[in-house]
Amino acid sequence: MAATLALSSSAFAAEQAMDLDTLLKQLEQGQSAQNAQNAQREAQFKAQQSEQVRMLRELTSNRDGELNRSERLETQFEENEIKLGNLSDTLSKRMGSLKELFGVLQQVAGDSSNKFRTSVVSAEIPNRSAFMDDMAKRMGSSTKLASIEDIEKVWVELQREMTEQGKVSRYTSDVIVAGGTKTQKEVLRVGAFNLIADGKYLSYNPETNTLSELTRQPTARFTQSAAELQSTQSGIVDFALDPTGGSILGLLVQAPNTKEQVEQGGAVGYVILGVGLLALLIALERFISLMIMGAKINRQLKDSVAREDNPLGRVMKVKEQYPDVAYDTLELKLSEAILREMPKITRNLTLIKIISVVAPLLGLLGTVTGMINTFQAITLFGTGDPKLMAGGISTALVTTVLGLVVAIPTVFLYTLLNTRSRNLLLILQEQSAGIIAERSEKGA
Amino acid sequence: MVLLVDAINALREFLDTGGQVLLVIGLVTFLMWLLILERFMFVFGKFRTYRKDLLNSWSSREERNSWNAEQIRQAMISRAGIQLNSNLPYINVMVALCPLLGLLGTVTGMIEVFNVMAITGSGSARSMAAGVSKATIPTMAGMVGALSGVFASTFLQRKAKREVELLEDKLLLDH
Repeated sequence: MAATLALSSSAFAAEQAMDLDTLLKQLEQGQSAQNAQNAQREAQFKAQQSEQVRMLRELTSNRDGELNRSERLETQFEENEIKLGNLSDTLSKRMGSLKELFGVLQQVAGDSSNKFRTSVVSAEIPNRSAFMDDMAKRMGSSTKLASIEDIEKVWVELQREMTEQGKVSRYTSDVIVAGGTKTQKEVLRVGAFNLIADGKYLSYNPETNTLSELTRQPTARFTQSAAELQSTQSGIVDFALDPTGGSILGLLVQAPNTKEQVEQGGAVGYVILGVGLLALLIALERFISLMIMGAKINRQLKDSVAREDNPLGRVMKVKEQYPDVAYDTLELKLSEAILREMPKITRNLTLIKIISVVAPLLGLLGTVTGMINTFQAITLFGTGDPKLMAGGISTALVTTVLGLVVAIPTVFLYTLLNTRSRNLLLILQEQSAGIIAERSEKGA
Repeated sequence: MVLLVDAINALREFLDTGGQVLLVIGLVTFLMWLLILERFMFVFGKFRTYRKDLLNSWSSREERNSWNAEQIRQAMISRAGIQLNSNLPYINVMVALCPLLGLLGTVTGMIEVFNVMAITGSGSARSMAAGVSKATIPTMAGMVGALSGVFASTFLQRKAKREVELLEDKLLLDH
């Protein structure tokens, strides 16, 4: 190191050397210094040789020691393995039938945890499934044994569920009503089947442990029985319960109501309903005017003086207007007068008839357009999703229903009005002459 | 008493499986048979005395040859015709309405089937069974109702027509 320093310092000096002689001198000096250094190094290596041999020997002995140790540990590990196998054999032998018991315990705990979570009994007695979950996990790990207390607790919980299923119990709880607000209410639990409050069926949400009123209640027959059950304190009451523990009632919420179904009919549906309303209005007007006309004609039948306010009277007036004509002419005049009255009696009836025929046709039109939409959906999305197709098909069928719903009463109304008007016409056509003849005979 | 309760329960169950439309069909069929019964009672009871009175008053007329007599005869026959034909159109329209109502039930039942499919997203036959029974039972009931009325209404119509013709034959004009 020192030699290097010397060399560099001489090199530094060389920069200052300005002539060749001094440079040569310097080179010679440098070479000699290097030779000296090499010799020194050689001596040093020779001195250290014995030391190196010693270190090598030391390390070899070290390695041999470690190899021995690893061999020893390996045999020990094998021995331990055999011991462990023997011990676990003994364990399983000694557990014997108990092992099966723990398996059953795990299964029961797991099953009943699930059952408790969804059971409506949990609305009244919460947090029962946590212990069961813990129990099932412990039994599954097989490192811990179940204590007598744990096993008894499983029994007690199962027994409690069973007892509660056979009970009708009342308690107060928070209930989420239709508006979304929480109110305290007296809740009635019928076994593990239904929860009711204020005569309305409730649904139980196991995730949040909350009760909420079903937004759509079943028909009055069932809600009435619920109200009856809540109001009575003793005795036997009829009650409609959901044996699935709320899933049927849950489906009820999803089913569309009448208004939504009518809306499914779309534009064609509204056209049908509009036409139906028109028919109804016309029929109402016709019904009233035919009633009035019929009453007036009936009064005219009893009255000998012909009046101007009814068709029969106007027809009978013809006889008075032409007192001295021949019978042939009189008959012509009478039929002429009857023809004048006919449009007033049969007015708009054809329109009702047309509507009663057109309404089912419109329904068919809606069905076909709905089916076209369904098939377009199938072209776009394939037949994979039955929900997609079913929606379109039920829309298509709604228009058919609307068509029939309009057509059936319209046909009935048409028959009703037609019979009435035909009877009035019969009186005019076939009897007016007869009535005139009878009166003229009596007068004669 | 127990039998009555059983019968009512069975009927209620039938109506529940068939749906609301079945109730309407039942009502229409009942009304139809009520009218048919009333017609039969009229044709075979009251109408006979009416016809006798009519024939008597015609035969007791002094002259049966003039224009007046002809017109009075026409009026008599027409009145008898009105009486014979009253309510018949209603029976006919009810016979026609029964299959229509059955069709209505079929379609509402099918809608229910497709609603179930839309909600559950599956074609499970068990969940659709309720809708299918609501679709088929009203059709059957409508057919039964219509068929039961068709014969009676046809008979009554022919009877009315024949009675009018008989009257026309019996109320003779003198020439």
